[in-house]
Amino acid sequence: MSVNKLKYFFAVDTRYVLKKLMILMFPYTHQDWEVRYHRDTPLTPRQDVNAPDLYIPTMAFITYILLAGMALGIQKRFSPEVLGLCASTALVWIIIEVLVMLLSLYLLTVHSDLSTFDLIAYSGYKYVGMIFTVLSGLLFGSDGYYVALVWSSCALMFFIVRSLKMKILPSISSDSMGMGSNAKPQLRLYITVATAVFQPIIIYWLTSHLVR
Amino acid sequence: MSGFDNFNTDFYQSSYSVDDQNQGGYGYSNSENPYNKQYGQYDYSQPTGYPSPGMMQPQQPYTGQIFQPTQTYTPSASQSMYSNSFEDEPPLLEELGINFDHIWQKTLTVLHPLKAADGSIMNETDLAGPMVFCLAFGATLLLSGKIQFGYVYGISAIGCLAMYCLLNLMSMTGVSFGCVASVLGYCLLPMIILSSFGVLFSLQGMMGIIITATIIGWCSFSASKIFISALAMDGQQLLVAYPCALLYGVFALISVF
Repeated sequence: MSVNKLKYFFAVDTRYVLKKLMILMFPYTHQDWEVRYHRDTPLTPRQDVNAPDLYIPTMAFITYILLAGMALGIQKRFSPEVLGLCASTALVWIIIEVLVMLLSLYLLTVHSDLSTFDLIAYSGYKYVGMIFTVLSGLLFGSDGYYVALVWSSCALMFFIVRSLKMKILPSISSDSMGMGSNAKPQLRLYITVATAVFQPIIIYWLTSHLVR
Repeated sequence: MSGFDNFNTDFYQSSYSVDDQNQGGYGYSNSENPYNKQYGQYDYSQPTGYPSPGMMQPQQPYTGQIFQPTQTYTPSASQSMYSNSFEDEPPLLEELGINFDHIWQKTLTVLHPLKAADGSIMNETDLAGPMVFCLAFGATLLLSGKIQFGYVYGISAIGCLAMYCLLNLMSMTGVSFGCVASVLGYCLLPMIILSSFGVLFSLQGMMGIIITATIIGWCSFSASKIFISALAMDGQQLLVAYPCALLYGVFALISVF
């Protein structure tokens, strides 16, 4: 948990952020999902567009909170307590998701190189989808909300599956323990798919009350 | 005496160790230990090794003592200046660190967002200008009937803290909290223009939204420009401008609604 490790996740530049946002919204044309390494250390997000970063999730989280405040203000339901409630709910859901992921990876002895910050980054990417959904809901009403919800859920599920597949699944071949390794690929696949399916549920849960 | 040797070795490092050892040592006669005077308790008739500038100002009892040949610790130039007269003292503004020329330069940098900024202007952090701007912002809000000084201060404190953390994580060289607070405070100047508009016209129409968006863009652009040039971050201007825009957006929300 050192500051240097955290600095790795913030070594971003504008080009990376724009490309990553494009991938988050439209991941179907992105070809190469492999995170590149340079002598055992992963490349910084500046040099590799597949590397996870924490700038986008942090900014998206704060933007989501402000947008929730604005949405509630437009509907005349604003008060600072509600804003605090929104913020803490979202934060709690991130913590729960990261803890569940960590626990399942640990219990199933999956040797991946996903650190806690990586998991926070991947679960924070859904806020970009949430912002898009809430904006469409505010601008285009209920229909716009559902269309955007479906679009961002599909994009996010695809993104999570393709990104985590690279990190969780390939570690089978390197350290196969003999007997247990047959059950492993399925369980790992279940983890990845469960993470992906969890995203739309949480997006709906956290945004539906903002767009009535 | 071994005690005296101790005093001598500690003498030039800190006066407080001398003080601690001195508590039990007042039995020594002053002629043996002329350097044993405590920092805070001056007996003006004794020669002393640590004249404090505060002590020396208007009082005259040091008349003959300073120029004694046995005095091994000569006062520095500034202290002899203090002891002489008021004309030789540095001007008050320079002592306080308020440099009007720099303040004006920084204000001009904010007001011309398209001109390239000089990275060295942020070398000394000065909080006088930002304080004035915050108060002016609160005053213009007051003129339109919104008594929200508390919100202004709270949001600026939280925003400065968040920007400080973010900039420390994103830049190669670190940044001090005073520098962040100073830059964000200076770039609040266009927001004052917005809230003065709000006194005269209502900002809730289409025109108001356009003006608000322009001013938020102006504030965050100049703030990010100063940060980029002061911290030598390349390719990250929009990334720094976005959190600044969020912060100034909250200020604009206060002025508009």
